[in-house]
Amino acid sequence: MSLLRSVFSIIALTKPINTAGTVQTRRNFKRWVSPTLRELAHRVKKQGPQKPEPRSGFLEWNYRSELFAFGKRLNEEFQLPILQIAFTQQAYANQEQERQRKLGIAEADLQISDNKQLKAKGAHITRAYVEAYLQHSLPKLPPAGQKAITSYLLSTETLAHVSMHLGTKELIFSTEYPPNSETLAETLQAIIGALADSSGVDRAFLFVRDFICTQLNQKDLLDIWTPEQPLELLSEICNQRKLGEPEPRLLGDCGKNTLLAAFQVGIYADRQLLGKGFGENVQTATETAAICALLTLFDMHENRRPFDFQIQLETKNVRLG
Amino acid sequence: MSNSHLFLKSGFPRAPLQNGLGRYVCQLQRITLKFCKNNGSSRGMRDFIENHLVDFAKENPGIVVYVKPRRHRTPVLVGEYLNGDREWLSCRNSTQDEISKWIDLLKTQNGSSSSMRLRKMWHTDVPSIQGPWTPFLLRSPDANNQTLPSKEASQPFDIPQTATEKLIELFKQQKLEEGKAGDEILEQKRAE
Repeated sequence: MSLLRSVFSIIALTKPINTAGTVQTRRNFKRWVSPTLRELAHRVKKQGPQKPEPRSGFLEWNYRSELFAFGKRLNEEFQLPILQIAFTQQAYANQEQERQRKLGIAEADLQISDNKQLKAKGAHITRAYVEAYLQHSLPKLPPAGQKAITSYLLSTETLAHVSMHLGTKELIFSTEYPPNSETLAETLQAIIGALADSSGVDRAFLFVRDFICTQLNQKDLLDIWTPEQPLELLSEICNQRKLGEPEPRLLGDCGKNTLLAAFQVGIYADRQLLGKGFGENVQTATETAAICALLTLFDMHENRRPFDFQIQLETKNVRLG
Repeated sequence: MSNSHLFLKSGFPRAPLQNGLGRYVCQLQRITLKFCKNNGSSRGMRDFIENHLVDFAKENPGIVVYVKPRRHRTPVLVGEYLNGDREWLSCRNSTQDEISKWIDLLKTQNGSSSSMRLRKMWHTDVPSIQGPWTPFLLRSPDANNQTLPSKEASQPFDIPQTATEKLIELFKQQKLEEGKAGDEILEQKRAE
């Protein structure tokens, strides 16, 4: 055995001497790298597009810190248990209860509260404040217009957009990921409810003003609400305000009887120009002019004074019902 | 713009969610510091964590800070923004001052700036305050009473004086200076 070992050691000693001249360090990519990457890429392609992974599944994730930071980021004082309830969707709570029941946990410990009540409360507060804000900012607008702008601000898309940009996407407990826009919108309302519970209705009002009402900034209000049958509405408004009967007059035309005809019509009431409008025929131009006149009368024309987002509405002006 | 930026997303500077109009919300929502506990390239990151990280977290309660040690890897800063962007920064061999500055940059921007090329340094939704020009803009009131086609309206405003007209004018002026009515002389000449 010892003889065998000595023979091996001799071979081991002699080997490097023989190959010393031919060994060289190689600094290129190994031959296996490219086929391996190709195979991996092939497998990824075969699997198809993957669902986005929830951030909460990562190793560096602390839900409590995230909740704390959520409140601090928005400059609000939340009570964390209430905030956590606001992030829990009803479907998720039910699913979780079912799961725990299957695991054999006692019924008494199965109480998981969800955000249904907070959501109702938040939705109520939001609607009341938005209505009061519009009443204050656009006092001359008729109820139909105020209703249209309110429903724009409280629509699922607007609320979901706001909610998404406040960073609720990762914090929501919901059955699907990423949460759909309805879930996002409901969660935002629940957060407003939670804020009212934590630091009072006044802070909730300011929250609505700062994050939801500001969505009106630089928006074309005509896109949100266009008066139907503007001429009739205009004569009605003129009668109400005693401006005299509105009367359309042709201000100019260009290219009559051609494909590119343009007419400009002005609407006068009591010899005062109320609004001007263009159109490819006189009727369209008259309607455009009527809309222009209405916008001026309602104080929502393009060069109106910008919305004031610093106002403090008095709480008694907000009708909480 | 270099070749590697050809397919970079481009856009304009925009404040997300009308930020700053109602109240300011810091757009950096979480930051992860990854470093090695004994590799030399992480030295600055370790110094930063030792000396400044607690102060940073206290000053910015709205930013969640995660610290992730990992062996023999380069130190890295990962910032995540409210708009869903994620910015990855290598801090290999950086000093703690450099890291403070990079973190300050991440804190003050509103999305991953390295993943977007700015087309302009400004943006407006209302490019013209006056509105577009139309043929009806600033028109003379006379135009309303004109019957078309009319001769004056059909010719250009700037017809230069012809040589004949100029000569006639010169001639009249000369005759006026001589004390005679220019028209009479002209008639005489024509009769001749």
